[in-house]
Amino acid sequence: MAVVAPPSREAAARVIRLEQVWKSRPGLLGWLTTTDHKRIGLLYFWTTLVSFAAGGAEALIMRTQLERPNNDVVSPSTYDQLFSMHGITMIFFFIIPMTTGAFGNYLLPLMIGARDMAFPRMNALSFWIFLASGIFIYTSLFMGSAPDAGWFNYVPLANATYNPGPAIDFYCLGIVFNGIASTLTAGQFIVTILTCRAPGMSLNRMPLFCYAFLAASFGLLFALPVLSADTIFLFLDRNVGTHFFDVAHGGSALLWQHLFWFFGHPEVYILIVPAFGIATEIIPAFTQRRMTAFPLVAIAELLVVFIGFGVWAHHMFATGIPTVTMIFFAAASAMVVIPSTIQVFAWCWTMVMGGGRFRTPLLFIAGFVFMFVTGGLTGIMFVAIPFDQQVTDTYFIVAHFHYIIFGAAVFPIFGGMYYWFPKVTGKLYFERPGQISFWVLFVGTNLLFFPMHVVGLLGMPRRVYTYSDGLGWAAYNLAETIGGFITAAGIVLLLGNLFVSYFRGAAAGPDPWHGPTLEWSTSSPPPEYNFAVVPKVSSAYANWDHADREEDRRRLESGVLVLDEGHLQPAVTPVDGDLSEVVEMPHGSPWPIVLALALSLVFAMLVLEKYGAAAIGGILCIAALAGWHWHEPEEATG
Amino acid sequence: MSLRTLGMLQWVGLLLGAVVWAAQHVVGSGITQADCGVGGAGWGISNDLWQATLTACAAGLVVLAGAAAVTVFARTRDAGFGDEPAEEAGDVRRARLHFFAAASIAANTIFLMIILLDGVASLYQLGCRQS
Amino acid sequence: MSGYVDVSRVLAARRGPPAALLGMAILIASEASLFAAMIGTYLYLRFETPVWPPRGVPEPEWLVPTILVAVLALTSIPVQLAWRSVRAGRVARARLLLLGALVVQAGYFLWAVHDFADQIRRTPITENAYTSIYYTLLGADHAHVFVGLLFSVWLLLKLMRGLTLYRANVTQAITWYWHFVNLLTIVVLATILSARG
Repeated sequence: MAVVAPPSREAAARVIRLEQVWKSRPGLLGWLTTTDHKRIGLLYFWTTLVSFAAGGAEALIMRTQLERPNNDVVSPSTYDQLFSMHGITMIFFFIIPMTTGAFGNYLLPLMIGARDMAFPRMNALSFWIFLASGIFIYTSLFMGSAPDAGWFNYVPLANATYNPGPAIDFYCLGIVFNGIASTLTAGQFIVTILTCRAPGMSLNRMPLFCYAFLAASFGLLFALPVLSADTIFLFLDRNVGTHFFDVAHGGSALLWQHLFWFFGHPEVYILIVPAFGIATEIIPAFTQRRMTAFPLVAIAELLVVFIGFGVWAHHMFATGIPTVTMIFFAAASAMVVIPSTIQVFAWCWTMVMGGGRFRTPLLFIAGFVFMFVTGGLTGIMFVAIPFDQQVTDTYFIVAHFHYIIFGAAVFPIFGGMYYWFPKVTGKLYFERPGQISFWVLFVGTNLLFFPMHVVGLLGMPRRVYTYSDGLGWAAYNLAETIGGFITAAGIVLLLGNLFVSYFRGAAAGPDPWHGPTLEWSTSSPPPEYNFAVVPKVSSAYANWDHADREEDRRRLESGVLVLDEGHLQPAVTPVDGDLSEVVEMPHGSPWPIVLALALSLVFAMLVLEKYGAAAIGGILCIAALAGWHWHEPEEATG
Repeated sequence: MSLRTLGMLQWVGLLLGAVVWAAQHVVGSGITQADCGVGGAGWGISNDLWQATLTACAAGLVVLAGAAAVTVFARTRDAGFGDEPAEEAGDVRRARLHFFAAASIAANTIFLMIILLDGVASLYQLGCRQS
Repeated sequence: MSGYVDVSRVLAARRGPPAALLGMAILIASEASLFAAMIGTYLYLRFETPVWPPRGVPEPEWLVPTILVAVLALTSIPVQLAWRSVRAGRVARARLLLLGALVVQAGYFLWAVHDFADQIRRTPITENAYTSIYYTLLGADHAHVFVGLLFSVWLLLKLMRGLTLYRANVTQAITWYWHFVNLLTIVVLATILSARG
C-alpha cells in the first residue's frame, strides 16, 4: 500500500509476516508451480507476444505475396495455411490470452481488492493448457500440414474427402484443447468477481473494467462449448465415419456454419469487450473524471455480449437460408450496435468534459475510438442483407474486421501495456518514443487496412493468393503492404521502448497517474499478497476515496482485516459484497503442470490416431486430478 | 414499498427482458427453420400465427420488465449509483437497486426494439422465399 | 490446529455461496451449453430431413428407458438428503444416503452401457446423420453419468475420513451436479423419444 508516514512496529511486523506466508518457491521451480495470478499473467504476456510475432510474420508474408500481381513468393497451398494460421493464431493465441490471460489475470484481483483468484491452481492450469495447445497446433505447421481451410474451416472443404491428412484434425483437436483453457479462465473470472471482491464492493461499486471481463467471461463460457461440439462432430466425421455434415447421408453442410458462428460471433465481442474495459479505465485516469453514464456503460458491456449471441446468422446471409429466418438476425444485428454506441458516447463525453492529458495510453485510446467507429460503421452496413450479399467474401469484409480487431482490440492492448507498465515493473516508460510509436502504428494500420475497403468494393475476393494485372487492384495492395511493414515497425518500436524502459526507466512509485482503481493503492510492482490490509471500498473509484485509503492504514496499525495467519482472503456475497467468511487459499502446486502434461498426451495421441494410448492419457488425467484434490487447504495448516 | 419487494422487482427488471428476448429469438427463428426445412414443411406450421403470438407475448413481457425497472428507479431516486465519491455514497442496497434499475431500463428498451423489429418484419416477409 | 472445524457452525454463519458451489454452477453452465448445441443439432437435422428416423433405422424404445431414467432422476432425493445431513454434521447418515444413491446410479449406468452397445451393434453410428447425432447425444449423456459416479466415489472415500469444511462444500457441489445430470438425462431422453410418431 502507499505508505506516507512510516508504519509502527506492529504494522511492520504484520507486513513481514505476510511476506513470509506468501513467499513463492525460488527459481524456475517457483515459476513452474506458481499459483500467483500476477506471475501467471506475466507468463501469458510473454507467451502471447511470441504468438503475436508468429501471427504477424504470417501476415507480412501474405502481404509480401500480395504486394504485386502474379507474385510467386509462396505457393497457393502455403498461402492457404498462412491465412488460416494467421486467423487462428491472432484470435485464439494472441488476443484472447493477452486480454483475459495477461491483463485479466494480473489486474482483476488487484482491482477488486483481493489477494488472488478464487481458484489459484486452476488459474495456473489454464496457462499450461494454453501453452500446450499453442505448441500442439504449431506442430502442424512444422510438419508442413497446418490447417488450411481458413479460421472458420467450412465443410465440405474441411472434410476427409477434400482435406485428407492431419491438418484439419490438428484444427479440431487444437481448438478443443485451447477451448478448455479459455473455459477455465472464464469460469475463474466469474467466480472471482462474484465472491472475492473486497467487503463493501457491491456490484454497483465494481470498476467498469471488471464488468467488461465479466461480460467476456460469460461469452466464453456459453460460446466455447458450441464450438467444441462443432469440431468434435467434424473430428467424428473425418475419423469415425459419421455423417453430421455429409449431405448424401442426411447431414448438413450449413450445420457447421450455424454452430461455428453461434460461437464465432460472440467470439468477436469477447475479443473487443476486454479492450473496452481497458479503455474505460484509461480514460478516467487521464481525464481525472468519473465515467459518464456509469450504469449504462456497465450494462452496455454485458448487453453487447448477450445480444451478440443472437446475431450469428448474419455471417450466413449469402448461403440461401430463407429471408424469414434472416430477419431475426438482421434485427438483432441492427440493435447490437446500440450498447457499443452508448459506450462510445460515454468515452467521448468523458474525454471532452475532462480535458484529457494525451499521454501515450490515452493516445492509443483515442486511436481506438476512431478505428472502432470506422469499423463499426462498415459493420452496420452489413445489416442490409442485399449489401452484405454483394460484399461477402471480398476484402471489404477483411477491412471491416481488421479495423475492429486491430483498432478496437489491439490498440487498447497497446495503450494498456503503456498504462500498466509502471505498475507491473515499477518503472516509467519513455513518453516521447511512446507517442511516436502510437503515430507510426496509427499511420501504418490505416494505410494497411483502409485501402482494403476500396479494393473489396472493386471486387477483390478474400483468401486469394494472387491476382491478375489490369484489375486496378495493384496500387491498393502495394499501399497495404507498405502499411503492413510500417505497422510492424511501430510494434517493434513499442516493444523496444518498453524493453529499454524496463532497464533504464525512472522509478514509478505506486501511483504515477493518480489512477482510480485499487491496483494504484499498492506498491509497484505489488507484493505477492497484493494488499497488506483488505481494502475498504465505498465507490467504484476506490483509489480516489482518500478517506478509505487512510482507513486502510489505520487498520494495518490495529490489525483489522490483515489476515496474516495464513494464505487468507475474505469471501463475500455475490451481489452486495457483504463479508461471508474468510477462506484459506492454496499456494504453489505442481499439479497444474502435471495435469496439463497428461492432457497434452491425450490430444497428441488423438491426433496420431492412437486411441488406446489416448485413453491411458485420460486415466492419467483422472489420477492427476485425484492427486490435486488429495490434500485439502485446511489440513495443510493443521 | 419494502426493500425486499424492490429487490425482487429489480431482478425481474434486469433478467425477465433478457430471458424473454432470448426465448422469442430462439423459438422464432427455430419456427422458421422448421417451417422452411424439408423435414418440417409437412407439419402445417403457420409461421405468421406463431410469429404474431410470440412477438405480442414477448413485447408484453418486456414492457412489464421495463415497468418493474422504472418503478425501482423512481423509488430509489434518493440513492446514487455507486460511482460518486465515498463521502456522498448513500445506502449500499438502495444504490445497488438504483444502478441495476437504470441499467434495466436501457436493456429492456433495446430488447423491445429488437422484438418489434423482427416481429413486424417477419410478418411482412413472404413464406420461405430465399433471398 | 485441527482441520476439523465445527462445520455446521461455519456453514450456518456463511452469508453467501462458497466458491466451490459457484464453480460447479460454471461447470454445469458449460456442459448445458454443450448439450444445447447437440440438441439444437438434433432438431436442425430433423427439420432438414423428410423421414425421421430415416428408413432402415428403428424408432427408439420408450418403455424401459423411461422407467430407468425416472429411477435415476429419483436419486436426486437421497443425494439432496445427503447434503442436508452433512450440513447438520451427520456424516454417517450422509455416507449411507450417498452409497444408496450410488448403487442405483451405477446400476443405471451399467444398463445404459449395455443397451448402448446393443443398439450400436445392430445399427452402427456410421449409418446416417440420424445415427450420428443419436449416438453422440446419448453417449455424451452416459459419459456425464459416469463422471458423476467418479465424483460420488471420490466423495465417499473422502467422507470415510470425516467431515471438514472442504468436504462439506464438495458435497454441496456434487449434489448440484447430480441434479443437473438427472435433469439433463430427462431432457435428452425426451429429445430422442420425439422421433417416435
